Parts: sequence; C-alpha cells; structure tokens
Amino acid sequence: ELQVAIIRMGESNENIQFSWGKKRAKGGAKMDTQFYGSFTFDNVKYSLYDCVYLFKNGESEPYIGKIVKIWQQNEAKKVKILWFFTPDEIRNFLRGPVAENEIFLASGDGTGLADINPLESIAGKCTVVCISKDERNRQPTPKEQTVADYIFYRFFDVGNCTLSEQVPEKIAGLEVNVLLNPKDEQVICYPDQDVQGMDQKVGAGLVAPLPQSAVKMDEIPVAPLPQSAAKMEDEIPVAAVPLSQSVAISLPPSVKEVDKAQVAAVPLPLAVEEDVPKPTQKVFKRTESTQKVLSDKMPSKKLKLSQDLTTKNMPSKKLKLSQDLTTQSMAPVPDVKVRSVPSAQQTTRQADRSKWFKPQPWHGKLAQADKEGRLVYIQNLDIRFGASEIVELIREALQLSCTAKPINHPTYDDPNNGKAYVVFNSRNIADEAVMKINSGLVVGGRPLYCSKGLLKVPKPASGALVGHLTISNQKMNPRQREEQKKAVSTSHCSQPNTIEYDLALDWMLVREKQAMKFSILHKVNAASYVLSVLAWVL
Amino acid sequence: MAASDEMAQKDEDDMKDEKQAEKEYADFEARVKRTIYIDHLSPLVTSQVIKASLAQCANVVNTEFIENYTIEYEIPAAALVEVDNVSQAQAAVDLMNNFPFMLGGMPRPVRAAFAKPEMFPDRPRKPGLKIEFSWVKQGDPGYDGMNKLKGLMRRQEAENMALIKNQLEEEKELAAQQQETLVANSNKYDMLENLVNNGEITKLAQHYKVKLGDD
Repeated sequence: ELQVAIIRMGESNENIQFSWGKKRAKGGAKMDTQFYGSFTFDNVKYSLYDCVYLFKNGESEPYIGKIVKIWQQNEAKKVKILWFFTPDEIRNFLRGPVAENEIFLASGDGTGLADINPLESIAGKCTVVCISKDERNRQPTPKEQTVADYIFYRFFDVGNCTLSEQVPEKIAGLEVNVLLNPKDEQVICYPDQDVQGMDQKVGAGLVAPLPQSAVKMDEIPVAPLPQSAAKMEDEIPVAAVPLSQSVAISLPPSVKEVDKAQVAAVPLPLAVEEDVPKPTQKVFKRTESTQKVLSDKMPSKKLKLSQDLTTKNMPSKKLKLSQDLTTQSMAPVPDVKVRSVPSAQQTTRQADRSKWFKPQPWHGKLAQADKEGRLVYIQNLDIRFGASEIVELIREALQLSCTAKPINHPTYDDPNNGKAYVVFNSRNIADEAVMKINSGLVVGGRPLYCSKGLLKVPKPASGALVGHLTISNQKMNPRQREEQKKAVSTSHCSQPNTIEYDLALDWMLVREKQAMKFSILHKVNAASYVLSVLAWVL
Repeated sequence: MAASDEMAQKDEDDMKDEKQAEKEYADFEARVKRTIYIDHLSPLVTSQVIKASLAQCANVVNTEFIENYTIEYEIPAAALVEVDNVSQAQAAVDLMNNFPFMLGGMPRPVRAAFAKPEMFPDRPRKPGLKIEFSWVKQGDPGYDGMNKLKGLMRRQEAENMALIKNQLEEEKELAAQQQETLVANSNKYDMLENLVNNGEITKLAQHYKVKLGDD
C-alpha cells in the first residue's frame, strides 16, 4: 500500500492547482452564485457526493465528510459537507459491534449534520463504501469493500443523538439514493503528488468574511414601549422563606435511605405554579447554533505520529503528519470553519464540532469510571477543598489512592456543602471507601456522606437561553432573517430608551430577588447547621 | 553525622516544596483576582463571542465554561473569564452591572461578579489549609448526633434543589410573558406601519376628524 503524504508544506494558497468542472445551476439573491458538479483541486478531481478529508488545525485526525454542494459566490469557493462520525466521536451512543474502519453518516436535523466550508479546506479524497443491505443501496463488490478506506451502514441522527441502521428517506434535503453507493463501480484514484500545475490562483485565503454586517436588534421594527405596559407585576415577596422547619431535627428513621434527590419530600412554602406556559420558542434554529470553541490551548495536544495512523489501518491513503502543528507549519491548509459567522468585530468563529458529541475529557473519564463502579460522590466537604486536598484526605484517612474533582456549581450549589467526584482504582476499593466514609468520617467537624454513581444531569443545553426572545416577522427578507440568526455573536449594553431595556430590568429584578432568596436560604442553613453541631458536641 | 545531614537535606527539600506550593497558590490567587464570573449566559455563546463583547473594556486571556455536574435541571451557562489585570476586571464587572448587558440574545442580561477561588475546579493546593479528620463510630457518644447532622445536610440539599427548580420556572414564566408582550406590540406597530404606508391613516384621520401632525 502506498504511503501517500498529503501535505502542502511551504506552499501558499496561490500555488495550488484548481479548476472548475461541470457547471450546474445559477442562483443566489443577486444571481451571483454558480453551482458546480465537480472540480479539480491540487490535481485531484472531486465530484458531488465524493467523500473527502478535512483538517482541523491542531488535530491529527481529519474529519471525514461527503460533498453535497459545490459553488462559487463572488470570489469565494464553498462546499457543503455532510459529516461522517468516527466511533470515537459518538462513543457514548454506540451500541453493538463496531468494525475497524466503520464510520457513521449524519442524519436528522441539527448541529453537526452538515457545514459549509471553504473549498480550500479539503485535504484529500477517500473512499467510503456503504454496506447497508437496504434495497436502495447498490451492494458493493468484495473488491470495493476491501480497498475502501471506510465502510458505513449506520446513521447517526444529530437531532436526537441516536444510532440506527435504518436508511432515512432524505438527509440534508437530499434523496438518500445519491448518498449511498454510486451506481457505477468507482475507480479509485490516487492524488497526483506532482504539484507543479499552478494555473489558477485559488482566491481568498483563510478567512472568508461574509458580506452582511452585524445585526442590531433595533433594525427589527419594534418601537419603545410606553412605560406602563412594560412593568410586570411584583410577585413573590422576598422573605417568604420560612425555614423554621429545618432547625427542628426530627428525621425519618433510616437516614441511610434518604436519596440525594428526594426533592418532593420537602414541603416548601414557595408555591410552584404547575401550569407554566410553554417556554418561548427557540430563538435560533439548531442548525444555526454556535458551539463552544476549542480552548486556546490547543498547541499542548500531542500529535499522533504516523505510526498510529498505520495501526488504524487506513489503506490506500496514509496521512503523514510531520512535526508539531504548533509551529504553524500547516498554515497553508485553511482552517475548517464550521459556519463562519460575522460577529460585531468581523472575526470568524471556529466552532468545535468534535466536542459536541465527544464529551469533555472529564465527562469521559467520569462516565467510564461510573460504568466500572469506581466513581464515588462525596458531600459535605469544606468548599475550599480542591482536588489535591481531597486526594490527600483520602490517602491519609483511608490509605487509598484516587483522583478527585470538586464539582460545586458556583451559581446554584449551596456553598455550605462541598461536593466532589472521587475515582478509585477498582470497584471493590470504591465500595470499601463508601462504607468506611459513611460509617463515620468527620472532616474538620463535618461528617461526610457519600454514594456511588454519577448524578443525573441534563445534556448540555443546545437551544437559546430562557429569556432570549425573538420576533417572527413575516416581512423580514431572507437577508434580515440571516442577520437575526447571527445575532448570537453580538453583544451590547442596553440603553434606557429601548424596549429591551425595560424588559432587561424585569430580569434584573427577578434575578436580585432570587439572589436574595438563595442568600437567605444558605444563611439559615448555615446557622441551623452550626446550632446542630453545638447540640451534637455538647 | 551522615544521618543528620540527610535529615537536614530532607528539611531543606520540604522547605523548597513548601515555598513552591506557596508561590503556586499566590499565582493562582492573582489569577483569581483578575478573573470574572459571568452567569445567566446563553448556552449558544462561545469564548470568541465573550472575548469580542468585552473588548471595549478588557482583553480576555482565557475563558473556561463551568460544567454542570450537580443540577438536574437545565440551567443557563456560566464562565470564568480571565482578563489582563484587576482594573480591567473591575471595569468589566462595572460595565455589566451598571447597564443591562446583552450577550448573545435579548433582553435577558448576563450577570458578572468577581471570581472566587472555590469556583476553579482545578485550583492548586492551598498551603496552610488543615485537613483534619476523625472517626466517630457506632457506639461512640456522638454517633447519633452525627447521623442527625448528615440528615440535616441532606434535607438542606433537597431544599436548595427545590428553590432552584422554583426559580427556573419563574424565569420561564417571565420569558413567556415578555414574549407575548413583545409579539403583541410588534403586531401593533406593524399594523400602524401598514396604515401609514397604504394611506389608510389619512382616511381614518378624516373620518374621526383628527388632525394628523404631518409636516
């Protein structure tokens, strides 16, 4: 198998060969967009529905995608890529056996389905063969299957994060037929490494700023409200938190049975409205939502050497990655941009697609530990204890080694009660630790209590914040609608003569009340705790 | 003599470690001072957006989003944002608290406060923080009292969760209310605009014998 290095080292964009192939329709609001069926880039021919690699700056593993649209608008050449997922990216949702070179085609609706990227971000072609038994899929020949870089037969729905073998009717608006195996057997071609064809300049480089400007909410026709209408009624009085109940220490007989989430058991005077009207519709469609950016410390990632790639059994094309990406030697390869959106300052945002389905590193470790029964959830620690203090405590009190992570949420968790996850080396050790700690470990006057397993938390929110409103205005033309969607990337101080200012004040009022409620609750709790300690000690 | 030399060396090493730990923590404290905690943040906001939004008063060096490990409800996002120095941090906090500051959506503003050491999940060891522990086993005099205390903590925890749930629902209500008002007013102004545009307004003015204050 040929080792083919697909690196354009030391080249500038201007020197990479490029030519358009078959023309298709014209489009766009100003008829300035030309769609194509194929193109040749760096002496490799790419056609619609070919599978390609795209590189993300700083990562050694490329993304794999299928070209579903090709066009040029003004000077910019763009492609729309429908994504494949590697098993790693959807580890949490995988079920059943997974082949070595198996990948999964995105389906459904939502973030992570497909993205528009500059054409120049394509790093190479690859062969992906569909082995689904669906009748719409031409069954691949054995030869095709052997030489293919990847195979797929399952689809990952990005909307509800489910894996399925069932072939959907449409993906990204396209009939699924065109996304399965092509009717003719493919001739696998290798990219020509001869980089001497330097006919055309490949247009603008890395950054492709879109023509629209940043959105101002004032453009949307909403005039300032008269004062009276904006005032919301004053509701719950602040001090309606009689917590005298908590001081009296009369407890259910078996304390050990009390589960950590028995919210319903506590009678609270604060009335909870049952028929809360449905939350406002999401401000921006999920397809437009932005994602968290990879933290700026990407250079610290160690690159996988080419040997790793060998063991991953990528036939026909091996991607040889030379030295440290941190030295920016990959500069000529444009960054893969996921939905480049203009912010107020015209910076292009790089969203981190991989993190959307790959849980944060700690989440992964914790999930893994939980699966293996090694995860312990400890409460009533001193809030000041960090990971190292907790590790030291466990070592000294239990003579056990572990890793720890304090997990209190600064806004919501009671600072009187420090919480942490502790991971031990084996299930037995974890069980032993739980038993010992619960039997009576008191740290700095605080009796600790603990249990096994992760807390149930909702998936990271993907929609707009509760309280971020939108107006669906029929009269807005598509351009304005686009701009409104991009408003996520803007920010400003609200000025007093606007409607949003009044509404914002409502929120600040609610917020202040809430903060005070929390403060009172926590103070009362702390006081009653101290009283109880005294009662205990004396 | 060799043994005491060894001891002396060990003491010296310990002193070095001690100094190292102190320095590390001092650096951390300096970092805390110039970090702000922003919450009521939209989950759609990225660190680039935060950086751009604070650019007018502070240069953002690092953004760390807070993970939710403990709250079983959908909560707004939050982030620790480190800037160049304390005065920038002060300026940013002042800005975001004196005016309703919209980040990534409207009209719900974000909230900013100075960060505290316990907000940082990866904080270094605090030198001088004593880790004392003791065992209170079954049969010991304080055993029952200890269990009562644990029970109290669990109840307080549940109360806290209930308060959080209540708050989140309150927020949803307010948002729905505001959305309704907003849409109603938007429709009203649309209608007015239409009337003006297609001339109906002059007819109405004539009908009601009201003078239109047009120039």
